[in-house]
Amino acid sequence: MRRDWGKEMSNFLICLGMGLFALVFLCLYRGTFGPGVLNRIAAISAIGTKTLVILLLMGFIYNRVDMFVDISMVYALLNFIGTITAAKYLEKMGEV
Amino acid sequence: MTRVTDDIIISTVARILIPFIQLYALYVIMHGHHSPGGGFQGGVILGASFILYLLTHGLEEAKTRMSEMKAGLFSSFGLLIYSGIGLLCLALGSNYLDYGELSTILKVIPAQARSLGILGVEIGVGIAVMAVMFSIFFDISTGGALPEDEEGLGERDE
Repeated sequence: MRRDWGKEMSNFLICLGMGLFALVFLCLYRGTFGPGVLNRIAAISAIGTKTLVILLLMGFIYNRVDMFVDISMVYALLNFIGTITAAKYLEKMGEV
Repeated sequence: MTRVTDDIIISTVARILIPFIQLYALYVIMHGHHSPGGGFQGGVILGASFILYLLTHGLEEAKTRMSEMKAGLFSSFGLLIYSGIGLLCLALGSNYLDYGELSTILKVIPAQARSLGILGVEIGVGIAVMAVMFSIFFDISTGGALPEDEEGLGERDE
């Protein structure tokens, strides 16, 4: 796992992470102003997935993937539980 | 939010996933001292598994696994482990939570005693955090009904 990337590869990963970072803000707009509850739930779920990938990219940049995999797994898990909770809340309220 | 659901996909996925979530939580607690995580984080994951069970299987079935009283007992038990280890160090003539002194009763070298002591403290923190997380979610989802007024729970949940 401890593999030293070249400088080009590190720059590539950083650019990839910055692109995902910009996309998170687009999702955040949809989650804040998006019409309806379903758009917001989908946007929050997408933000969680993008954060997970950004965390893994950070792990690759710092050459410590074995640590960042743990954090991103927890993030995916809590994202899943959060989505289920929002879906249950919607089911009870009955507004879609 | 806590009524029984008839969605077979959600309940099946939760039933398959919950043991792995708990195993992962135990891994996070046990490896707290040489990887990210520790007692609090592992306890949160362990509590999240119980919250997932409550969400997918309803309040009544979750109460048979982990009732409000059991959650209170577990949180007190975790705090007892934490403060017990701390006070044991204090009683052995060292500072509070200074685990090196535990080597006299564990019969190991001080470095190993520190590792074991911090593991014990993290297990205590994990149990307490798990119980408190579940208790908070329990209180929010039942609207704060105490175990004594169980009869008032039914109509409030509708």
